[in-house]
Amino acid sequence: MNMVIPELTTSGDSNTSRMRQVVQFLRNNKAVVLIYIIILIVAGLTAAFSEVFRSPANIMNIFRQSIALGLLAIGQSVVILTGGMDVSTSQIARIVCLVVATFFALTESNPAMIIPLIALGIVIGVILGGLNGILITRTHAVPFIITLGMASVLRGVNLAISTTPIRGVPSEYLQIYNAKIGIVPINVLAFGAVWILAWLVMTRTRMGRSIYAVGGSERIAQLSAIRINRSLVLAYVISGLFAALAGLMLLSRMGVGDPSAAEGMDFQSVAAVALGGISLYGGKGSILGTLGGVLLLTMMSNVFVLMQIDIYFQTLVLGTVMLIAVAAYKATRKRDI
Amino acid sequence: MSLASIKNNFLNRIKIKPTPRVVRAVDLIGQWAAPITIVIVLVAAIFIAPAFYSPINLKTVAIQIAVLGIVSVGQTLALLVRSIDLSVAAVMAVGAVIVVQTQAGNSLIISLFQAFAIAAVIGLINGLLIAKRHVPPFIATFGMMIFISGARLAYTKGQVSGTVPDMLRAVSIEPIFGNFIPSALIVWIVVNLIALFILMKTRYGRWVYAVGGNPEASRYAGIRVDAVVIGVHVVTSMLALLAGLILSGYIGYVDLKIGEGYHFNSIAATVVGGTTFLGGRGNLFGTIAGVGLLILLLNLVVVLGLPIHWQHAMQGIVLVVATALQGFRQFLLSR
Repeated sequence: MNMVIPELTTSGDSNTSRMRQVVQFLRNNKAVVLIYIIILIVAGLTAAFSEVFRSPANIMNIFRQSIALGLLAIGQSVVILTGGMDVSTSQIARIVCLVVATFFALTESNPAMIIPLIALGIVIGVILGGLNGILITRTHAVPFIITLGMASVLRGVNLAISTTPIRGVPSEYLQIYNAKIGIVPINVLAFGAVWILAWLVMTRTRMGRSIYAVGGSERIAQLSAIRINRSLVLAYVISGLFAALAGLMLLSRMGVGDPSAAEGMDFQSVAAVALGGISLYGGKGSILGTLGGVLLLTMMSNVFVLMQIDIYFQTLVLGTVMLIAVAAYKATRKRDI
Repeated sequence: MSLASIKNNFLNRIKIKPTPRVVRAVDLIGQWAAPITIVIVLVAAIFIAPAFYSPINLKTVAIQIAVLGIVSVGQTLALLVRSIDLSVAAVMAVGAVIVVQTQAGNSLIISLFQAFAIAAVIGLINGLLIAKRHVPPFIATFGMMIFISGARLAYTKGQVSGTVPDMLRAVSIEPIFGNFIPSALIVWIVVNLIALFILMKTRYGRWVYAVGGNPEASRYAGIRVDAVVIGVHVVTSMLALLAGLILSGYIGYVDLKIGEGYHFNSIAATVVGGTTFLGGRGNLFGTIAGVGLLILLLNLVVVLGLPIHWQHAMQGIVLVVATALQGFRQFLLSR
């Protein structure tokens, strides 16, 4: 709802009218603007002190490393906008990563299998997401608990698939992560396109608006003839789909089916969503803010590495950020689990 | 398809009219599912896994039940006031780390005091966030969980934190009553008795049920709702700490993964035992049965010699099925 810019009917010259539009936009998107200002400040300070940080290669690396988390965060944003939460995403990403790697190993790294296996991975993600959605809507259970249970089941399945890295990914597949045009990696361009697409879908289409509406108030959405259950299932399917894409991206980044792939990324994606100003109650906030949250988290871990700060402090910073985001809640809604 | 029409379709298809008698039957099944399943599993274990009844295994089961049981008492209280606590596992780990630091100098009493004070503060912050700032409970405690884990990692730098003091080992595994019952089980029974007494015989216990059942009505009845919620969260955190101490005494050392999965299992045990997410309904007897069932199933995986990943699958399936059943039960009751 925040992204809608009201039509201005003032007859003044176009310059002041545009100024007003800009001011209105900033006022409606305080959280989004704030997160990008923070990013600029952190990046500016670090760049001033570190030569390595401001090298173009490093900056491209930050973008490239943010892709997997960013994909998960798109799905997480959609689910959180409906008022739920999906903590099974990192396990879905991992199972896709492991299954696809296993099939590559079985077919002796045949490059012809790349397209069918990508399709297989996406189908797995969609099915698991749909299962989440169906369980949640049909049993009227708390989404957080159902996805937590799903995460545990999938963790068991993943352990059953493999506990050691799976080799045999064809080198052509690694090009998904490595291919570049000049200095810009192709996957960063594709990632940007996906974000713009996601933003357009969430703000300009009926599907996106109905997801916002369900998160805002289920009762009112129902009275507005929105099919609540269909919107909810769709949200979890989208989440599963993007988790699968993240798993495929992780596989091409690491080159092996890593049994600890995407560890902790479900928490990080929730933190990114919260940082970007999407209300964890659902119904409010912009998906552009989430992109800011993802970039900030990835950049901070890059900065930590450059400044040689202990890796364990990263978790502390993540936790502090999370707690501040939680404590900054406004008491606008009644208590609900 | 709207919520109501799905509900009607479903009920018509399985020919259930939600008469008071049916609702009551579903309610009873919700409460008795866990004890009945326990009996079935115990009988089945005689045939499929006789090793389950060996004294050593029974002692392990008893200690595991005690640890999970103590956490779950706190979790039950939290669910009864329409809240939830995801930070219990992190609190367990923090308590273990703090107390193990006694090897580095302090006396055990001071460490214990510190640990319980920290747990109380964590519970207080949880309660304040939930009651005063109206943050949804699972989000508040989820943020707290990540924060505490981060603080612990920053403090220990990811290293194993030494050995556990002898006194703690004694409280956990020292046998009482003829070399059979570990003392952890006694601690669990005492905690349960105290909690049962408070819930059933005192004004505070009535307040807990009232606040969970209907917070607004409780407020009009003059109950200090916020104080009850905050109090419950302080108790939950401190019980989690106690369980963490017993767990570290049982394992004998404190590593990175200590307490892992207990937030998950305590919620599962509580929900299996018939306590609902919507508050005010459920009791500790159910939770005791839920804890017993969960530990039994997890232990059977080990006794049967199945790969360990079956434990994860088992936990997840129990949680999903129990949540789904309780959701359906709540749904029938709300008609």
